[in-house]
Amino acid sequence: MQNSQRHQQTPKKQGRKIDFEDLANITLFIAVFIGIWQLVFMLGIWPEVSMPSPAMVAESFAGLLQDFTLVTSIGMTMYRLGIGFTISITIGIAIGLAMVKFLGFGKTMSSFAVGLQSFPSVAWVPFAILLIGLNDLGILFVVIMSSVFSVMMSTYSGIRNIPPLYIRASRNMGAKGFSLFRYVMIPAATPSLLVGIKQAWSFAWHALIGAEILIAATAGLGHILLVGREFQLMDQIIASMITIFAIGLLFDRIMFSKLENKVRDKWGLNQSIER
Amino acid sequence: MSTSEAHKVTKLARKTMLKLENVSKVYYGKSHVGRDDNNDSRLFLEHVVLNNLNLSIGEGEFITIVGRSGCGKSTLFNIVSGVDRSYIGVIQIDGKPQSTNIDRIIIFQEAVLFPWLTVYENVEFGLKAAKLPKNKRRDIVMHYIELVQLTNFANTFIHWLSGGMKQKVAIARALVLDPKILLMDEPFAALDIQTRTILYNQLLQTYERTNKTILFVTHNINEAVALGDRVIVMYPLLANVWKEFTVDLPSPDPDN
Repeated sequence: MQNSQRHQQTPKKQGRKIDFEDLANITLFIAVFIGIWQLVFMLGIWPEVSMPSPAMVAESFAGLLQDFTLVTSIGMTMYRLGIGFTISITIGIAIGLAMVKFLGFGKTMSSFAVGLQSFPSVAWVPFAILLIGLNDLGILFVVIMSSVFSVMMSTYSGIRNIPPLYIRASRNMGAKGFSLFRYVMIPAATPSLLVGIKQAWSFAWHALIGAEILIAATAGLGHILLVGREFQLMDQIIASMITIFAIGLLFDRIMFSKLENKVRDKWGLNQSIER
Repeated sequence: MSTSEAHKVTKLARKTMLKLENVSKVYYGKSHVGRDDNNDSRLFLEHVVLNNLNLSIGEGEFITIVGRSGCGKSTLFNIVSGVDRSYIGVIQIDGKPQSTNIDRIIIFQEAVLFPWLTVYENVEFGLKAAKLPKNKRRDIVMHYIELVQLTNFANTFIHWLSGGMKQKVAIARALVLDPKILLMDEPFAALDIQTRTILYNQLLQTYERTNKTILFVTHNINEAVALGDRVIVMYPLLANVWKEFTVDLPSPDPDN
């Protein structure tokens, strides 16, 4: 039996291909949700200003798309997220590695990092405003402070939790110094690192929208929410909220889960009991 | 004269590959109750694991070390493999004192392969770490993958392999580095008896073809006698070699 291709069995239920049953379920769910919403609207419990109908929200959507507000806002927010997240990962991994190398520093820093990891991102905002100012840099600061500790901790624990036998075997075969680090430690720590990066992304996303609202950014999704509140445009607010939700979902399901699954498949961590 | 007999004759005149001279190791803080010189019961605060052990292994010999749990064979293994550096005595590999050179490669009980790499990548690991260029690596790696009969699995990730296959990969990746000594630490202990039998034959065939010096530790007496040219028996608390005997069984025909 010739098996020289990479073995990649994709059983149907693993969720990497579009499952039509799932799609039907999701459509049904959304339809029911919109139905209930329309019903609540028609019951008139809240005034139209506070509770628009699905149709009004859709109209607002169309309007935002037409004058490109939505597109530029998404662009601006993504731009900030991209920069903030990249800086976060870089600093986080660097400090994480330093924590592994200098164990005294590592132990002390990890106590702080664990606490700061779950520090509410909005609590950084007053500090950022006074220290840096009511500008993009302030927003970036909040984003970075909210996510860097996750990356740091997952780097630190990821490397420390590599089974010592891997290191012993690699050393025995002559790998040392940078070679050992690059060819053994990084790949061995990757699953753990990915979990940390995924969490950091989530924190960064939360922090960003919050900071955009509180630091009164001049453009971006948070800005649309702020404007909506100022002018009592509930339909615009809801439209933005749906956008924010969709983007978060998109990134998580498509980017991170795929990456995580790829690594887990390689390692054989996705094996169910029946092969 | 058959090939195996010719092999045996040439083995007589060979240099010493591994030499242990008066090697001792003591664990401090591990107390036990025993009898001292006056035959009084006493609490000992140290545990002598190895006591002036002497051992000599010639090039191309297949030595098995066998003994019960606690006889010191694992400690001896760790010392010879360079993992444990706190011992008294002299250890020489091929006439030179122990160094950090990769002249003795370990095969672990659990294979310890890298799950993020395929079989091919696992086998080439040592060569890659030694910075051998890619085109030169290919021939060597494929040769040893073929030697352990895993050619069809060269590009599979290791979680697809059975326990026996994983050990074959471990053997291949060790041989690729052309070590002076192959150190095997109960490598087949976790496998079922049918797989073990197949692997004994495979290992002996590989041994006949490559003529490597092998130090094989096991707790299974049958295995020790079936595989080794010389069997070294250890015993708990003796802290030294108890018995040593040569096995006179004919080696398998390598062309079989």
